[in-house]
Amino acid sequence: MSIDINCIAVIGKQNNPLYIKNYSSSHPDLKYHYIAHTAIDVIEERVLNNPKLTDAYLGLLYAMEDLAVYGFMTNTRVKIILVIAVTDNVVKDADIKAIFTKVHSAYVSHVCNPFHNLDQDFVASKRFSNAVDHIGQQNSRATIDV
Amino acid sequence: MSFLSPTTSSIFGGSGNEDGTSATGHGGMLVNESCLDFLMMELVDAMCRTAIDEDTDREVIFYKLEMLGYRVGQSLVERFTVDRPRFTDTLDVVKFICKDLWVIMFKKQVDNLKTNHRGVYVLQDNNFRWFMRMSTDIGGTDSSSKATPYLWFPCGVIRGALANLGVSSVVMAETSNLPQCTFQIKIAKS
Repeated sequence: MSIDINCIAVIGKQNNPLYIKNYSSSHPDLKYHYIAHTAIDVIEERVLNNPKLTDAYLGLLYAMEDLAVYGFMTNTRVKIILVIAVTDNVVKDADIKAIFTKVHSAYVSHVCNPFHNLDQDFVASKRFSNAVDHIGQQNSRATIDV
Repeated sequence: MSFLSPTTSSIFGGSGNEDGTSATGHGGMLVNESCLDFLMMELVDAMCRTAIDEDTDREVIFYKLEMLGYRVGQSLVERFTVDRPRFTDTLDVVKFICKDLWVIMFKKQVDNLKTNHRGVYVLQDNNFRWFMRMSTDIGGTDSSSKATPYLWFPCGVIRGALANLGVSSVVMAETSNLPQCTFQIKIAKS
């Protein structure tokens, strides 16, 4: 897979940040906070304007400079945002979807933990962050090898 | 309650690996249905037993059981809506409760769904699974009043499921004639 993941962000149903992690060294963390924040607006607009759009995967939200932002929204209004570096390689939708599915299933496992507090602002679970970091690092490393 | 298929069994994420790639699908554990039946019985009974005075503490017992159910309902929909297309409106969500959630929990669908199209939904189940083996000597109102506490947990499950799908509501349940029961969902105006 030749996707260079720069950042994975999970945003709760009240648009509260649940998890955000920077996997790149090219931009500061703040940049991704800003991108994730902007992405919420794009997601909301897209979902409101297309009531028939029932797929969780929302596709490319927008591209900014050398970054492409992809979005995913679950039935429970939890948003997952993926920021990847634009390279010359063709990015396949199926690959992006696979990454979202992985992050989503990590989130579901996390939520189903009976000791997890649903009203908690930020995901502090070690298992969840390990799972997401694994996805993020695995994919950003793949490009370095190529 | 029956979480018999492997995918449904790990609702509490119990069998995940350390690296976080939790077993959603393969490698899930199976739970004996009787165990869950006993757990449900004991859950309600323990709440009633630990109450100081069962009549005045009814509210407290209701609140505790309802909140337990609420939590379970939220987790359940999180897991079981993973592969579903997004819901378009409230009716869609209620239909999901009647069909999918009911099958997951009770292995059957709701028998009758009524609505006034103004935010009230009435779900009627003629053979509520948890009441199938319940009866009292006197029968009638006595058995239905004794069975009522057993409806508070499922009330919470429904409310939790709806809440997590973005519909805030009030759920009340009643039973008049034992294996049958009705749940009334009042959607809060947004």
